[in-house]
Amino acid sequence: MEVTFRIRRYNPEEPGKNKPYWQEFTLKDVKETDRVLELLHRVKWEQDGTLGFRRSCSHGICGSDAMRINGRNALACKLLIRSCGPKVQVEPILGLPVLKDLIVDMEPFFAHYRSVMPFFVNNDPVPADGRERLQDAEEQQIINDTTNCILCACCTTSCPSFWANGEYVGPAAMVQAHRFIFDTRDQASQERIAVLAEPDGVWRCRTIFNCTPACPRGIEVTRAIGEVKLAIMRGTREGIINPKDIKVHG
Amino acid sequence: MTSLVLTITETLRYRGAIGQWSWVLHRLSGLGVVLFITLHVVDTSWALFYPDLYVEAIATYQTPLFTIGEFVLVACVIYHALNGLRIVVFDFKPVWWKYQQKAAGWVLIGTLVILVPVFIGMFGHVMRFYGDPESKFLGIGDVLTAQLPFAAGIGAAIIGAILFSGVVGIIRPEQSKAERKAGVKPKGSKLERFWWSFMRLSGLVILPLVFGHLAMMHVIQGVFDITAADFTVVGTTTANVTGTAVEFVANRWNYLIGPLAIWRLYDLALLALVTVHGFNGLRLVLTDYTGFSPLLKRGAIYLCVIGAVVLLVLGAGALFGTIDDSMKKMAQEAMANLHQ
Repeated sequence: MEVTFRIRRYNPEEPGKNKPYWQEFTLKDVKETDRVLELLHRVKWEQDGTLGFRRSCSHGICGSDAMRINGRNALACKLLIRSCGPKVQVEPILGLPVLKDLIVDMEPFFAHYRSVMPFFVNNDPVPADGRERLQDAEEQQIINDTTNCILCACCTTSCPSFWANGEYVGPAAMVQAHRFIFDTRDQASQERIAVLAEPDGVWRCRTIFNCTPACPRGIEVTRAIGEVKLAIMRGTREGIINPKDIKVHG
Repeated sequence: MTSLVLTITETLRYRGAIGQWSWVLHRLSGLGVVLFITLHVVDTSWALFYPDLYVEAIATYQTPLFTIGEFVLVACVIYHALNGLRIVVFDFKPVWWKYQQKAAGWVLIGTLVILVPVFIGMFGHVMRFYGDPESKFLGIGDVLTAQLPFAAGIGAAIIGAILFSGVVGIIRPEQSKAERKAGVKPKGSKLERFWWSFMRLSGLVILPLVFGHLAMMHVIQGVFDITAADFTVVGTTTANVTGTAVEFVANRWNYLIGPLAIWRLYDLALLALVTVHGFNGLRLVLTDYTGFSPLLKRGAIYLCVIGAVVLLVLGAGALFGTIDDSMKKMAQEAMANLHQ
């Protein structure tokens, strides 16, 4: 089949291209099982070598090729042409500064990520056998979903609250915070709760639910944010998540 | 402005699901209701403070422009109420998120189901009034002129809020976020936490109150019955002898069940909750899109405080006052002059 790509281009260094514009490319012999990323490669290799986009693993794990495809955020490497149709519109994710074509500056996104202390905190002496700190399977289930985040920014850049105000911490940082706040072995949940209870924290979430379908990992993003809100309201992480309610992966 | 323009254009372009459109409708309906509440509380307080102006205000309500507005208003209130209920449910039960799309659809269906009988009831009042060759109503020019003081008042409040914000900015310059955060441990905002709960709890209490108010003032009796002579006023046993809007209000507020002036208490509860809920909602909307300018963001907050305080003072002032016979007389004279 033949597929037309309509791509949002921008190159700040080249006169005439330093304002965002649309450019179309037509590709022949496209299989419906081709992924959007493969076709972007074909555009770059066969038609226009100046096209800029990020990708690393190409297998939905590294999270570097998030873009807005046909109006909705997705990973280019996970989306098949079958679900796009013969016309594919690709543009950079919204709310972060565009550097070139489909490449955005991820630093503001990672700054929000760092603000929620996305690392394990436990100041107790290590177990006597010197090995890992254990928790039971049920306790792990509580955070299992949010451990899947790959920081691709699909959720955060699908959020109208984030578009309006880049100071808002955004869904991804809250997913990451959720993973540690509800980790029964972690001892810094109160500090993370304090960060997220700031005016630019959870309160700017208006439960629009754009983030949940945007997640390429199927994380229940809005639910995680809701649980963080409840933890803030009640001042504790206890009793908010019932392990029986957790979906089982695989 | 850029963040507002960007949000509007990209919300239209982004293929979000129904939840995104629920959010848009929730904001628009909320803004519409806040605007009407502002007119309505100020107008109604005039029943006590300026009876002749209250007569004029009710006369503007009894015109085609406001009749259309009334239908839109009722639709906004019902949608906002039901969608608010949906938000509350998923806020307190995040684990039910899978049903949010269905719930958003049910909110729309529920709104339509409630609107059908409500609109039929309202339409009856409308037809009776406009179908009667005796009915007189003001021309569109008079109606718009009557809104000029409001436009001026709202404009003055906006300018005042921004000027005040400018003065505050000079006296106490805002630190940048980096400066504010340097060496300060985040403690979390207790105030935002309070407002978050307040919006949800007040919404739940407002819901039955506002539905009762709509039923009484728009369905059982309509805006046109406010000035019907010798008509028993809704929720009371007394008739509106002079057929003036002022006596209508007086009959309701003076109606006692035992020692309790129940409609005063009802209106007081509604006034307090709706005003604070509405203006805090307005603050949330305005501060979402003014983050780029400390001047405008502070101004937006001051504007909401001004609006809420003005409405609470005027509304409570009227509710605690007494409408006497001289005011009804003034209203009668104003009525007589109205259509000359």
